Amino acid sequence: MTTETQPKPFMNPYLAGFLLGLVLLASFVITGRGLGASGAAKDAMAAAVIHTAPEYASQSGFYDAYFASETGPFRSWLVILAIGVIVGGFISGASSNRLGLKMERGPRINKPTRALFAIAGGLLFGLGAQFGRGCTSGAALSGMAVLSTGGILTMMAIFGSGYMMAWFFRKLWI
Amino acid sequence: MAPFIPEGLVNPELNLFFALLLGIGFGYVLEQAGFSSPRKLAGVFYGYDFVVLRVFFTAGVTAMVGLTFLSFMGWIDMSLVFVNPLFLWSALVGGAIMGLGFILGGYCPGTSIVAATVGKVDAMLFLAGSVVGIFIFGHFYNAWEPLYTGSFLGNPFIYETLGMPRSWFAFALVMMAVLAFAITQRIEDNVNQTPKEIASQRPSYVMPGALLILSMFALLFLPEQRKSNAREVPAHELLAMLQQNDRFVDVEEATYKIIQQDKNFILIDVREPEEFERFALPGAINITIDELLGRRYRDFFGNNNGKKVFYSYGESGADMAWTVARRAGFEGIYVLEGGLNGMFDTLFNGSDKPKDPNNLDEGFSVRFLSKARQMFLEGDALPRQAAPQVPVRTIIELETPGGRGGC
Repeated sequence: MTTETQPKPFMNPYLAGFLLGLVLLASFVITGRGLGASGAAKDAMAAAVIHTAPEYASQSGFYDAYFASETGPFRSWLVILAIGVIVGGFISGASSNRLGLKMERGPRINKPTRALFAIAGGLLFGLGAQFGRGCTSGAALSGMAVLSTGGILTMMAIFGSGYMMAWFFRKLWI
Repeated sequence: MAPFIPEGLVNPELNLFFALLLGIGFGYVLEQAGFSSPRKLAGVFYGYDFVVLRVFFTAGVTAMVGLTFLSFMGWIDMSLVFVNPLFLWSALVGGAIMGLGFILGGYCPGTSIVAATVGKVDAMLFLAGSVVGIFIFGHFYNAWEPLYTGSFLGNPFIYETLGMPRSWFAFALVMMAVLAFAITQRIEDNVNQTPKEIASQRPSYVMPGALLILSMFALLFLPEQRKSNAREVPAHELLAMLQQNDRFVDVEEATYKIIQQDKNFILIDVREPEEFERFALPGAINITIDELLGRRYRDFFGNNNGKKVFYSYGESGADMAWTVARRAGFEGIYVLEGGLNGMFDTLFNGSDKPKDPNNLDEGFSVRFLSKARQMFLEGDALPRQAAPQVPVRTIIELETPGGRGGC
């Protein structure tokens, strides 16, 4: 991508939300389930661990469900969905001139700090998504759409904790 | 009726194809909305950019209104839609950890995939961190399993938890969303000190907002389509029914219906799944007594088209299932007389010749059974792989074992 072409502006958030809602609704109408993201990482990681270190995996109850199923990661619904997300994200980024390697960070921190906190944030999110049985998409968004108590409570916990912690880490972003 | 794949209207093999299509839509919209930028995402916590709230709430409300409407019209069977299970403490602890992760990392898993795709290095690191986090969860799984699988409260809906009708909660949620949009816009303008000229150039959302509220208001007063007309049966009535024996379907009728592949004759195997896998009657579906009253079968038993016949090895298992189901008010249910054992006893140990050559009824019955025997043994009706199965619908397992939901 050349830097001469300016990135196009983002979509109107309400229009984007409406379209995202239609995708989510289509998912429920066709497959009976909502969208998800963290589950793909889990399925792929579990498949890798079972493949490389089956003895290690057999010691943790976490992998039991994966031993029971014989389908590989590429038969996993969530992994295929994530591949779709990559394709869709790329199409959007390419058509709006937003492709290019970049480390995005707040104005008051340097790149190594940002890198460190990105890893730490990912680690916590990955861990939390296991306890929450889904992340912002699978638990919060899809959970709100079907009005499930579990999903809505998880959503409130995510944003509640986010607002409580925001002040302590304000230097990262503002 | 939706959902298509769990209802068996669309080949489950296509499920992965739809996953890809839905993923493309999901990824495209997330990137277009600006979710590949962690500074925009984190803005929701500091008040300078509420794009997360706008997109997220609009999407949730759109899908929720859509599902509410489809369910009102009776076009979607909500009992087949995945509803997140509630493990109270696990959900709260998990949510709190995720909130901290959101502040530190500036992404959530879905947005980090999109951001990594367009080249954000921090998103790639976030994703790598997520995998490590999931691995850590797996490594210490045995230690925190009590928290993870404890305080299980079923798959409740929020309006049930709050004790209000679905439509009222839906209405309240839409009102909350519209209110939140208006308030956060003011906060954002204050934080960013947006000049008045720029703020006044924004499109007006009064019309769409008003339309949304009005349509939800109308839903409040529409009668919901009732799909289930189950009515609980009092114990004394039930005992009286148990005294009579009209719940039994005899072997001849069952055999005849199986051979005819009668769609209005649904065999329900109440034995354990392993036993069902080993052998079952052609076209039978497997529902154990424990699952019988589950939410997912409520509509299946609620509709009264056709005979639903329970069977087990003998009669007692099927009789128990019948009692439980009848108590819950399910109608049109029966028990296979003598069970599987009785059926095969009648079919295979009967004689080929009537005892009394002058009894026409008996002669007819013996001839029929001998024909059925032939079909079961030589024809294509014996094991489960034979004969096209004719369950009214294929019920696909949506809930993963042990309440392990994906995200």
